[in-house]
Amino acid sequence: MSATTLNRIAVTEHTARRAGQAARRRANLAEAAAMAFGVLLIVWTVVPLYNMVMVSLESHGDVFTDAVFPPHPSVASFWIVITEGYWYLEYFWHQFGNSLYVGAAVTVLTLLIGSLASFSIGRMRVRYGWLVSNAALLTYVIPASFLAIPFYRIMQSYGLSNNLWSVIAAEVTFATPYGIFIFSQYGRSIPIELDESARIDGASPLQIYLHIYLPMMAPALVAVGTYALLLAWNEYLYQFLLLSSKRSMTVPVALAQFLNSDEAPWNYMMATAIVYALPPLAVYYAFRGRMTAGLTMGGVKG
Amino acid sequence: MNSASVYELGRPAIRPRVSTWRHLQGTLKGSEYSWAIAFLVPYVGVFVAFVVYPAVYGLWMGSEPSLYTDLFSDPIYQSTLVNTLLFLGIAVNLKMFCALLLSGFFMRRGWWVKALLMIYVLPWAVPALPTFISIHWMLNGEWGLINNAIFQVFHVDGPSWLNTRWLALGSAIYSHIWKWMPFWTVILLAGRMAIPRDLYDAAKVDGASGWRQFVHINFPLLANLYLICTLLSTIFTLGDFNSVFFVTGGGPANSTHVLATLGIRDAFDLAQPRLGVAAVMSALPLMIPLVIILMRRLKTTEVQL
Amino acid sequence: MGDLSRRVMIRASVQLATVGALACPYIANAAATTATVWWVQGFAQEEDVAFRDMVAEYEKASGNTIDYSIIPYAPERQKIVSAITTGEVPDVFTANPAEIVALYAWQGKLVDVTDVVETQKSQYSETALLSAQCYNSVTKKRSFYGVPFTGAVLPIHIWKSLVEKAGHKIEDIPKTWDAYWDFFKGVQTKLRDQGVRNVYGQGIQVTTNGVDPNNTFHYFLIAYGGQDILTKDGQLHLDDPKIKDAVIKALTYPTTSYKAGFVPPSAINWNDADDNNAFHSKQVVMDLDGTISTEVAIIKNKEDYDDIVTMGLPLSNDGKPVPSQLTAVNALIPEGARNISVAKDFLKYFIQPKVNNEWLKVGLGRNIPVMPEIVKNDPWWLADPHRAAYTRQGVLGLTVPAYWAFNPAYAQVQSEHVWSTAWIDIMNGGMTAEAAAAKAYKRINDIFAKYPIMQS
Repeated sequence: MSATTLNRIAVTEHTARRAGQAARRRANLAEAAAMAFGVLLIVWTVVPLYNMVMVSLESHGDVFTDAVFPPHPSVASFWIVITEGYWYLEYFWHQFGNSLYVGAAVTVLTLLIGSLASFSIGRMRVRYGWLVSNAALLTYVIPASFLAIPFYRIMQSYGLSNNLWSVIAAEVTFATPYGIFIFSQYGRSIPIELDESARIDGASPLQIYLHIYLPMMAPALVAVGTYALLLAWNEYLYQFLLLSSKRSMTVPVALAQFLNSDEAPWNYMMATAIVYALPPLAVYYAFRGRMTAGLTMGGVKG
Repeated sequence: MNSASVYELGRPAIRPRVSTWRHLQGTLKGSEYSWAIAFLVPYVGVFVAFVVYPAVYGLWMGSEPSLYTDLFSDPIYQSTLVNTLLFLGIAVNLKMFCALLLSGFFMRRGWWVKALLMIYVLPWAVPALPTFISIHWMLNGEWGLINNAIFQVFHVDGPSWLNTRWLALGSAIYSHIWKWMPFWTVILLAGRMAIPRDLYDAAKVDGASGWRQFVHINFPLLANLYLICTLLSTIFTLGDFNSVFFVTGGGPANSTHVLATLGIRDAFDLAQPRLGVAAVMSALPLMIPLVIILMRRLKTTEVQL
Repeated sequence: MGDLSRRVMIRASVQLATVGALACPYIANAAATTATVWWVQGFAQEEDVAFRDMVAEYEKASGNTIDYSIIPYAPERQKIVSAITTGEVPDVFTANPAEIVALYAWQGKLVDVTDVVETQKSQYSETALLSAQCYNSVTKKRSFYGVPFTGAVLPIHIWKSLVEKAGHKIEDIPKTWDAYWDFFKGVQTKLRDQGVRNVYGQGIQVTTNGVDPNNTFHYFLIAYGGQDILTKDGQLHLDDPKIKDAVIKALTYPTTSYKAGFVPPSAINWNDADDNNAFHSKQVVMDLDGTISTEVAIIKNKEDYDDIVTMGLPLSNDGKPVPSQLTAVNALIPEGARNISVAKDFLKYFIQPKVNNEWLKVGLGRNIPVMPEIVKNDPWWLADPHRAAYTRQGVLGLTVPAYWAFNPAYAQVQSEHVWSTAWIDIMNGGMTAEAAAAKAYKRINDIFAKYPIMQS
């Protein structure tokens, strides 16, 4: 090879290496910028939560001071919550149990009713099924706060006043339309041929539902179930209105008691709130992988 | 040929009459149809018992015209309307736009991105009441965490976040975005992840930069999802009671109420539930078109498949 | 429950058992049936204990059953509104907020309870009786629609240590209205000079949330001579020059203080708990706040409990005593209640002075009686310094009823916070006191137009 060719090769290699270095540097910069952004995102997310934790760790007198970090942190508040050592928290574990009961019932019922309806409309393609799914959306036309008083009245006439089932009914009503929406979108990614071949083999709709539909819909079930649980766990207005005795209350209503007092130990309140926040967090983190898969919507294809 | 009447001769071929039952059944066989109906009954039951009945009762409650004259003459109503429109316009769009951008961010590789996502979702997973109260305290002008921090770092007194109308409304909007942005980010992220990777790979081979990838791949495929999410989010936000009630209480001087909180205030603080219902009903002219558009959008996506 | 609660319960039970034995004569032999009662949760645990025990005693003595729910304050309000709207009502409920007795009486939704009140009419103070006599627009006359069982006024609470830290003594505080309030501005200035960053002299509730701002405005109004803004016959006197002058003064003083920085800025958005928080954290040197719950809440903290000074109102600027507006709390029986006879029987039992007194005492005297003889016969009420001051102000001193008893329209004025809105118009909106007053007058006149009271 001539000297010029060697030279050219050397130059090309050099340029390529330089280009590679530049690209790596750009990539590193981009990664560093992304990390910096990540830190900002953490600050944005965590600050109100930090305030909650801070108040729960402080003694009552310190809550309203200038402090940014708790001056004398202690977990005494959590101990009071766990041992029901304060009169607002007298029935805390019972109320916590009520919340769990409501959350579980809402989740199961939403999944059951929503998937059955979605199966009938989307898979079995019952005629005029789209009427039902559109009607479901109408539920959201009327904001929940509007329906509160009529709900109270009808629960009385159904004999469900001060009963957890009134709250469960309300939550299921508000969670199911969204569930039907997700199920129908997700269901489009499951080929209808599976259903058809099962039909030809003589399977009844119930069998198709149980053995084909539900297993394939698992991620969507997880997504909707988590949504329903969090909806019930987050909800306040209906629980507030429909439940009145200490034994039937759920934790959010118990928390609201603190707001009506002239002198509430806010550290207990925040400690209660943190204990109350643990179950949905646990559920979300356990299922988050499945959940993302379940939210993949056919709607992307537009 | 039978003796046919003049009319019959002139008519086109008559199709056999289909009974209504047969018509409804469509492509389903007899027993299957019963199953289909049986599967629908639970939801229809729930809908009739818990949506139709209370809605009808509520509509009846709000049906007196004098309620609306009372409502419009209430000095607070007009500012509430303005607040609601501002809240909807800013909160929904800012939230969805940031969710879109963040969903792109969370597509990055790396264990730390996954860990970050886990933390980022916390606002949605932690219950609303205590977090909003925490924000209410955090923003207190005298002893709240934010102003304490500002004082320690900058040695100036921070503004009174909840004492003037616009700062307070901004605080409520911030709270709403803080709480709900993670939820929509996850949904948009799922949407992005559903885009087949080979589309991206093909684009890269063709030499498309990040921006062009966005415009030609992401945008068309995400646009419909984004629109549907925005519509849904507007509907949910219109009914959002918690963000305003616990953070600002509607104050100062009832200047940061939105229709959802005004309805409750009229119903329970003024002990006039029918007025409260009327307040919320006055949002219907906005709600109904939104829902119709949403239903149309969902229907077209169904048909296209 | 902790040890303390058990002790409280035992003590309460013994006390009420003795009373139950003495109260027999008033238990009619109503058939053993059940009445539903909705009772508001107290601000201290002992109040709930007191109620529980009183009900137990009644049940034993009468053979009736009381199916009661103790409901926290705000949920009870919502439940009451929902119940009255839908017609699914309990047999007895507490008036929460207090003014609904006037509103629902006007709408004809309450049962006339004159027969219950008659049993103890001589015991009641005139203010209490006036607070329960409301106008019914259906029958077009006034009658008793509520059974008063307690009342509340607004005393003044002061941190002695903060006053002393500023170099003064409690005895130095002037005795007339404006000078009294101005004193605390000086205290704030001196404390700030010493480097205390977050302290304010006056805890005035210039907010539109809750019941206290309405009370605060009225106390200022009455101090400046505007007591007759609404008279017993239900007529407004907004045009009276004396009233106009008082209104302007009541709008001016607190807002001027606020703008000058003597009231915490966040007071503009306080709710009913925030002002107590501000007081307990020593953010304000003093405040005007209903009942002695401020003190009772920290009764276990002896040092702070003794540090607070509870006082009645100062004299008016011309040296005359200022009457305290008393908010009487009534028990109501709604129309459509299933068991009115048991409800009335229960209430007759409850308002007997001995039973009422025990209930109040077990509840730590946070609520005061509306029957002066109770206080005169039982030295307990004047034993503790805080309770003594509060009792002297609210039971033995000059009181006037709340305005909504005269005309239910005023209840709406209060729930819309017309006067507080005027304050905020001045503080935030830059209006003058005259302009804010004119706006308030217009709204009040509009509201009153809907409640025409025929004069019999």
